[in-house]
Amino acid sequence: MSKIFEKLKVLADAAKYDASCASSGSKRFNQNKGLGNAEGMGICHSYTEDGRCVSLLKILFTNHCIYDCAYCVSRRSNDVRRAAFTVEEVVDLTINFYRRNYIEGLFLSSGIFKNPDYTMERLVRVAKQLRLNHNFHGYIHLKAIPGASPELLKEAGLYADRLSVNIELPSETSLQKVAPEKQYRDILGPMNYLKEEKEERSDHRPQRSKTQLFLPAGQSTQMIVGASPESDYQVLRLADSLYQRQKLKRVYYSGYIPIATDNRVPALKAPPLIRENRVYQADWLMRFYQFSVDEIVNEATPNLDLDIDPKLSYALRNRHLFPVDINQADYEMILRIPGVGVKSAQKIVSSRIYQKLNIDHLQRIGVVMKRARYFIKCPGLYNANSDISSKDLRSLILSGEQQNSLQLALFS
Amino acid sequence: MATYCYDGSFEGLLTVIFRAFEHRSIPEQIISTEYKQLGLLASAFTVNTDELLAERVLRGIDKRTDNRGSRLIYHMFLSEQDGAEMTIFHLVKNLVDKGDILSNFGNPYVAKAYQMDKMIGREVHRMHAFVRFQKVADADMYFAIINPSCNVLPLIGEHFVKRYADQKWIIWDAVRNYGIYYDLQREIFIEPDHPLLKTLVESSKQEDCYQQLWVDYFNSVNIRERKNTKLHLRHMPKRYWRYLTEKHSR
Repeated sequence: MSKIFEKLKVLADAAKYDASCASSGSKRFNQNKGLGNAEGMGICHSYTEDGRCVSLLKILFTNHCIYDCAYCVSRRSNDVRRAAFTVEEVVDLTINFYRRNYIEGLFLSSGIFKNPDYTMERLVRVAKQLRLNHNFHGYIHLKAIPGASPELLKEAGLYADRLSVNIELPSETSLQKVAPEKQYRDILGPMNYLKEEKEERSDHRPQRSKTQLFLPAGQSTQMIVGASPESDYQVLRLADSLYQRQKLKRVYYSGYIPIATDNRVPALKAPPLIRENRVYQADWLMRFYQFSVDEIVNEATPNLDLDIDPKLSYALRNRHLFPVDINQADYEMILRIPGVGVKSAQKIVSSRIYQKLNIDHLQRIGVVMKRARYFIKCPGLYNANSDISSKDLRSLILSGEQQNSLQLALFS
Repeated sequence: MATYCYDGSFEGLLTVIFRAFEHRSIPEQIISTEYKQLGLLASAFTVNTDELLAERVLRGIDKRTDNRGSRLIYHMFLSEQDGAEMTIFHLVKNLVDKGDILSNFGNPYVAKAYQMDKMIGREVHRMHAFVRFQKVADADMYFAIINPSCNVLPLIGEHFVKRYADQKWIIWDAVRNYGIYYDLQREIFIEPDHPLLKTLVESSKQEDCYQQLWVDYFNSVNIRERKNTKLHLRHMPKRYWRYLTEKHSR
């Protein structure tokens, strides 16, 4: 038993740099009085001291690896303890953690041992045992190993809720530099294959049949930010294309943590957490706020402003669109007001039918007035700063929030 | 204006609402008998719970709200927030006077109602996350204790039944001193005198082992370079730590 403790420590530690933690978006129901249910919202069962969510048992099958990627802690040339689970050990841990409500399911990744197919086959075997021998309906996320054969990927899709291949670096040139054994072709290949397989199945599947799920929670990927010279524009354009072409459900961004003393990647003092946060905010704007990439960053402003969020930054660059009339404007424009989230925007649109909304109503609805006030028009709000330049408005808003940002700096 | 007194049950509160409408009066306050202060006894109007009247009130609410209202006020009631009873009364009165105003978030009572709904919704979601089962030694039974800030037990059972259809379990609310027991067929509410509770003995060596593995896992996935105590506490406030296995390092 003591060996399992050692293995879990090594292989959880090695897996923790993968940012993906989602357990949502699947459509897998508990059937035949089995164990587990993955139909609804994701659940974060715990939070580590770095504030990240713990939703899945996120482990590597092994951290032995034949590759030598500079950004990766498990790279061949790195001197770390190595370990490997057996299929039964992973199954047992998953079931027992799940029964105690510690987790939503399993996120299994692995170093590449022997060859891609050999590795992928092990991961698939774990998922298959959980589903078939243990009647397990919890969430399973498997890594799709670049270079694994289509047959194995297809089988993985039958048992997993989600598969992911990490694109790692935001450009092929950078990838080549730090991971000479990897190419975009090997990463986009499996993504495209899985996308087509999923689409084909949903086209041909008879209506309402839930018996044969194929990757119900789709695919995701991860990109490392700050380990290579790409601008945010390049990062977000690539993400956008992954959402459009490969139909990914999520792109994760991971601020580069200098885990490896390897001269192919820069030596940073601290991980670029603020930049990571801004990139996530921009990603949110694309997915939930109907922004296009070019409206957030473009050739002229290729990088996100680290001091203010991208939505505020957009508003300051496009003052001609503001102030927005709360009682007249379209939903799309209401969404673009700094200080108004998706829920507030919906509430505004549904409530203004009943009465003309004034400043009190907006407060009740939950609009962040100290942010929104400079960008809206409504009864009861006198806007003394309507003629102020964007530059001055930026400093005015920032000075109001200085205390907050000081705290942020202390904790980040 | 009068103080209405009820037995603390949801049906009791609905009966109060019926009576107040009957009397064409707006209560000054609505209080549960267990909180009734001696000084108020004299002037308080005590309402006996009547399930048929309660049902009529619920149907009246749903008829005006496309079946959304009854669930909302049940959630408000379970949220146990200060002033929940009077907010429910005013919300019902607004529904009767003005029709379906549930989409008007500019209405103060609607705004307040959704605030309470959000509050208990968050607590329900937290309990989905923070329940920690222990396997009871020598029994095929899992046991968990929770200390939620709202009365969430009536709302969380279904989630766990769907998830743990093949294991027996008990979730015990230590604040309100009652629990749910799932016996593989259905969920039953149990009180402190339930015989099953006496069979819950010390955990086994195997149980300790899985708990330790979980604690180890929790500590291993932390990234020290990203330490962010403020964020950690916002997601996992200290008041929940008591029953969280991973926050008790051994």
